[in-house]
Amino acid sequence: MHTNDPTSRSRPPRRLLTTFGVGWVLAFALAVPVRATPTAEAQDSALLVLAAASLADVLPQVALAWERTGGAPVAFSFSATSRAATQAVRDPTADVIVSADLQWVEWLRERGAVLAGTALEIASNDLVAIVPAGASGITSAEQLGGVTRIALAGENVPAGRYARSALEAHGVWAEVEPKVVRSGSVRGTLEWVARGEVSAGVVYRTDALQDSDVALAFVFDSDDHPHIGYWAAPLVGSDVPDVARAFVAFLASTEAADVFGAEGFRLPSESFDAEQARSGSSLGVPGVASAIRLSVIVALLATLVGLVPAIGLGWVLARWDFRGKSIVSALVLAPLVLPPVVTGFLLLSVLGTNTPFGGALASLGLPVPFTLLGAALAAFVVGMPLYVISIRGAFEAIDSKYEELSSTLGVTPRRTFLRISLPLALPGIAAGAVLAFARALGEFGATVVLAGNVEGSTRTIALAVYTLLESPQGQEQVWLLVGASVAVSLLALFGFEVLSRRQKQRLEDRHGR
Amino acid sequence: MVADAFRLKLELELQLPGTDLCVSLDTRTKAVAIVGPSGAGKSTLLRILAGVERRSRGRVTFRSEVWQDSSSGAWVSPWERSVGWVPQDVLLFPHLSVRENLTYGAEPEASVTEIADLLQITPLLDRRPKRLSGGEQQRVALGRALVAEPRMLLLDEPFSALDRPLRAELCQVVRSWTLQRGVPLVLVSHDEEDARQLGEERYRLSAGTLSQED
Repeated sequence: MHTNDPTSRSRPPRRLLTTFGVGWVLAFALAVPVRATPTAEAQDSALLVLAAASLADVLPQVALAWERTGGAPVAFSFSATSRAATQAVRDPTADVIVSADLQWVEWLRERGAVLAGTALEIASNDLVAIVPAGASGITSAEQLGGVTRIALAGENVPAGRYARSALEAHGVWAEVEPKVVRSGSVRGTLEWVARGEVSAGVVYRTDALQDSDVALAFVFDSDDHPHIGYWAAPLVGSDVPDVARAFVAFLASTEAADVFGAEGFRLPSESFDAEQARSGSSLGVPGVASAIRLSVIVALLATLVGLVPAIGLGWVLARWDFRGKSIVSALVLAPLVLPPVVTGFLLLSVLGTNTPFGGALASLGLPVPFTLLGAALAAFVVGMPLYVISIRGAFEAIDSKYEELSSTLGVTPRRTFLRISLPLALPGIAAGAVLAFARALGEFGATVVLAGNVEGSTRTIALAVYTLLESPQGQEQVWLLVGASVAVSLLALFGFEVLSRRQKQRLEDRHGR
Repeated sequence: MVADAFRLKLELELQLPGTDLCVSLDTRTKAVAIVGPSGAGKSTLLRILAGVERRSRGRVTFRSEVWQDSSSGAWVSPWERSVGWVPQDVLLFPHLSVRENLTYGAEPEASVTEIADLLQITPLLDRRPKRLSGGEQQRVALGRALVAEPRMLLLDEPFSALDRPLRAELCQVVRSWTLQRGVPLVLVSHDEEDARQLGEERYRLSAGTLSQED
């Protein structure tokens, strides 16, 4: 394992905003396209372009060049190509799609959202291997077989498929496969490599250039993997089909090529290969049974690990009065309001194998990143606020006079807690556990950052659904998991209701008074 | 020591909402009854004796023990006082049966049979508190305090939900039980009749002061 540059351990907070803010938050939150143009008039004529997130830096520059030539204003909605494509089908008001993958253009054509023969390749990219800045020793694909951990994009996103093809071409896939961790996005891969949590990663050349904390180890030969092309196509639903076509043509023009070139992209390849577009379409579909089993294990672990701390914190917050109580309360509740990806990032900063604490755990044989333990810890932290709130409420609902009365009967506070408070709060504690369990089942953001998306060890239902949505083939299969997720969650909430009612009944001791 | 068997001394300054209460009580009587309007601080007085409420200023001594002395910081926790407190709102543990309520806090070998008979609650032993009437609950709460063999009995409106004849009967039971064991009794009530039946010395708590009555 390569040791990382020490400066990257205490990374400036800006990184959190740039890396995760742009990468994930934009990708997840911007399901609703934002039209940036100010006036209503301009809004009517602005082109709405749904585009792959990996083009978020370069496309606005191309659009500027287009507007300088007198083109209509352009508004972008950047997200993963998979989301952009599904959005294009659902929201027919968009004008243009720019995909990082020909497969999705084909998928849109099959659904009548893009007309055959209208898609143009506008740029291409290289696949590169990256290592933490300052690390050395890897110069060829063959050496990747010897690393401890390697980060690849999900197997259903193009970058993940291409990486596999390239490693297969070099005959090292069988060696590498058990060491693969899948990230939620290319930004995730960069972050893990930059922190030295993984020894290497495979990304596009343009991604590697964005991050000064990673170093380019080598570039894969373009024959090793399918061609990496970016495709633009006018959408059938556009109100201004002529303008949409003109913008697509501009994206493929030499003026645009200059801008792409300056950002590290390469020129489009000459030939359109429809056969290639379908290649790899039979690749990995996440195991549904494994995802459900993992979700239940992770949620159970999180619930069990959290039980004693949640009871302790709930009791302290309900019954004790001390200086700094509101700070403790705020800290406990923080994961409820923090974006889960931020929680995951903070956890990675504390529990990563390159941190003192995480390193100590790893040397005890309990590494946190990319393991089931990591997934359970993420779920535990994110579920804790609901756990504590429920239990605190249960304790607060108990008249403290019961505890006073117990003490006058010669019973010490500790025994009073065990014989009175705890049994009286039991249904409320169970309700809190059910709620934490349900929350843990739904956990995604913190898990994907801390534990990655590793089939069979951290790919829970939420991550499997996410992975399936990345793939044109996954759109239908996803319903099974969605159904399972909804069923288990509703069941858990139903259990919460029943237990909450029981808690209330438990405290109704007086008859007609 | 014998002379001190019933000695209870209270010097308290209480800040209650609306009143400053100065209580000074020094008695060797076997049974003290305190009457007064509601809100005068009668229940608070018992809570202070039981040790479940602590005021910043005051001194409480029982026999030769100092339970609270704000000037020296002395404090005896409620679970070390061995006081039988029967609060006005009864507070039977709702998750325990009547029998479990009675034996809660008692020695393992304690027998509930005699007390249950005295208080006429034997048929109720296997019920849950919420299945009892208000009067039954009051008798179980009294029983729970007695089974624990307290060194002092504090009763806060203990018979308010009982009808007259049963009240008189239970007053007799409590009186003979405390006398047999030499256990002092403090009763607070707004019911003059209960106070007359149980209290050897009667005090009135009103307008923030405690005064003896005859």
